[in-house]
Amino acid sequence: MLNKNMAEAARKALSKPAPYGPDVDLSKYDVLNPRRIEPTEILEQERVRDASGRLGFTPEMVRKAGYVQVNEAYLASALVESLRKQGVVVMSTAEALRKLDIAREVAWTLIRPDTDKYVATAYLYGKEQGYFIYVPPGVKVRTPIYTCLLITRGMTAQLLHNIIYVADGAEANVVTGCSIAGLHAEALHIGVSEFFVGKDAKLTFAMIHAWSKGAVVRPRTAVKVAEGGRYVSYYMIYSAVHSLQSYPKVTLGRNASTSLYSIISGEGEGIYDVGSSATLAGPGSSAEIISRNLAKGKSRVVARAEIVGESGPSKGHIECMGLILSDTAYISTVPLLDSKNPEATLTHEAAIGKIGEDQLTYLMSKGFSEEEARALIIRGFLSVEAPDLPPQVKLSVDRVTELISSKGHG
Amino acid sequence: MSNEVLRVEDADIYVAGKKILRKVNLSVGAGELHIVMGPNASGKTTLLSAIAGVEPYEVKSGKVMLAGEDITNYPLHKRVEKGLVLAYQNPPSFKGVKVSEILKWLRRKFGLDSSFTESLAEILDIHKLLGRDLFSGMSGGERKRLETYLTLSIMPKVALLDEPDSGVDLDSVGRILEAIKLALKHSVSVVLVTHSTHMLNLVRPLTNTVHLIFKGHLVFSGLYDEVVPLVIKRGFEGAAKVLRGWS
Repeated sequence: MLNKNMAEAARKALSKPAPYGPDVDLSKYDVLNPRRIEPTEILEQERVRDASGRLGFTPEMVRKAGYVQVNEAYLASALVESLRKQGVVVMSTAEALRKLDIAREVAWTLIRPDTDKYVATAYLYGKEQGYFIYVPPGVKVRTPIYTCLLITRGMTAQLLHNIIYVADGAEANVVTGCSIAGLHAEALHIGVSEFFVGKDAKLTFAMIHAWSKGAVVRPRTAVKVAEGGRYVSYYMIYSAVHSLQSYPKVTLGRNASTSLYSIISGEGEGIYDVGSSATLAGPGSSAEIISRNLAKGKSRVVARAEIVGESGPSKGHIECMGLILSDTAYISTVPLLDSKNPEATLTHEAAIGKIGEDQLTYLMSKGFSEEEARALIIRGFLSVEAPDLPPQVKLSVDRVTELISSKGHG
Repeated sequence: MSNEVLRVEDADIYVAGKKILRKVNLSVGAGELHIVMGPNASGKTTLLSAIAGVEPYEVKSGKVMLAGEDITNYPLHKRVEKGLVLAYQNPPSFKGVKVSEILKWLRRKFGLDSSFTESLAEILDIHKLLGRDLFSGMSGGERKRLETYLTLSIMPKVALLDEPDSGVDLDSVGRILEAIKLALKHSVSVVLVTHSTHMLNLVRPLTNTVHLIFKGHLVFSGLYDEVVPLVIKRGFEGAAKVLRGWS
């Protein structure tokens, strides 16, 4: 199934480190053969409930999810049937590559298998685990499609290739939760995601991560948005990690737009190197990248953001805010604006600070305890106006925001 | 005083280790309005903040009693729970914290009297501020009206209002005055710091006692007509000299 040239290039890239984040020895993780399983086989497992519960996903939500992957095992749930009536396809990427021309046409066109050792590993050993979602032209799927990617066994390498294709004039909301059972478990998660947003189409993608102290996480995401299309991404991580490094790249065609929000809550000794990049490739395109970064404990958070103005008129704005909650934490913001066109208007603002004593005292003067005041200020800091989020997705986001703010101590 | 709710006894008041006010004595009865006057930097905000328990203001010797309970060593939020609330002269701005969220929290915590808060909200014209970020981008009048509302809405035993009328348009001053009247009617005691002649004129019929602070001392506590006309005529120093033989 592997493309000979790509496989050759990937093999050569197996020791190629990523430009950002700590380099990780991947050889110690177990790569398992994918298998399809029945819902009852995994959904009743306590460790699955633990992992999904940490995402704020109820058992009911997991049962109704379009796609669930637990370690190497996956299932597509009954909800797929109702979506299928509208022509929507949700299946494993491996199955899609066997059955569907569209999957074969687009797979590995946005992310090269030899990008770095992580992508190369996923390409060579992942056996195309992961989900494939296709929304036909003009079909607007209002109900969010939930996907759940869980690890329940220590030392597992979860290597995924996800593809979302929202055809011209179509609309979809996808919510992906990635989590691990146990707060100390060691595991590797590499998720290669290629998203295609057609002409005048819209994709809202929310991703919530809850990992463990030993988790190495390397998502690789690229998105192509055609003329008049819109892509909205809302990314949240609120757990410890060993290290997380991700720098999704969005390319925008004529009059296309994107809003990329990320909420990073660093804790423990975790390294969080997270960014977003948008290329304004078509005239009339626009991008906003908004991030809120919290750092507690000894965590290190690097918030990257890049907007490339290739054509004009176009507009891009970066807003990168950091809140340090302990003396041993670290935040760095790296906003980059690259303009290749005089008609591209690019701006950025960035600020890092701590919780203001005056704000704490004020709230306490109205009856809040210090703990309550901190939680309220953190929740305010994290609350980002994201009007595109569907109400159900906003509920999940609010739940996680509440969790982050309630444990917001240094 | 039989219906006394707030008593400050022989209090030495410090800010960040420096003594600002000496041997302050003050007694406020239920539903009374007290005015605190004094020149700039005489210690009016210091007095209110120390009574409220705001750091770094501190009562180092002497006592603060609320409804017979010694609250001198209570932390700030505990004093609010006991019924003593300070309205800031300049409250800080918050991003992402909605006014409605604060009100929801206050309702949950203090079980607010809805008919009182509704009347208060109407008087202070609060409804249009509910969806806004707390104090962010608000005009002077909006900030003061909201701060007055947040302070009075829990119907405290004592509200300490630090210049609620400064930097405020006339309409807002009128509204704040009406809010104070409503609070007094509900037996809330109000200690008001003000510099404005306009406000002083408006509150004259409501005022029980005026306190004059000068050079680190509460030099005189007496009736409105004993103090205010004298201050207007002779200034703070002149009034202090006359009332206390200050030199």
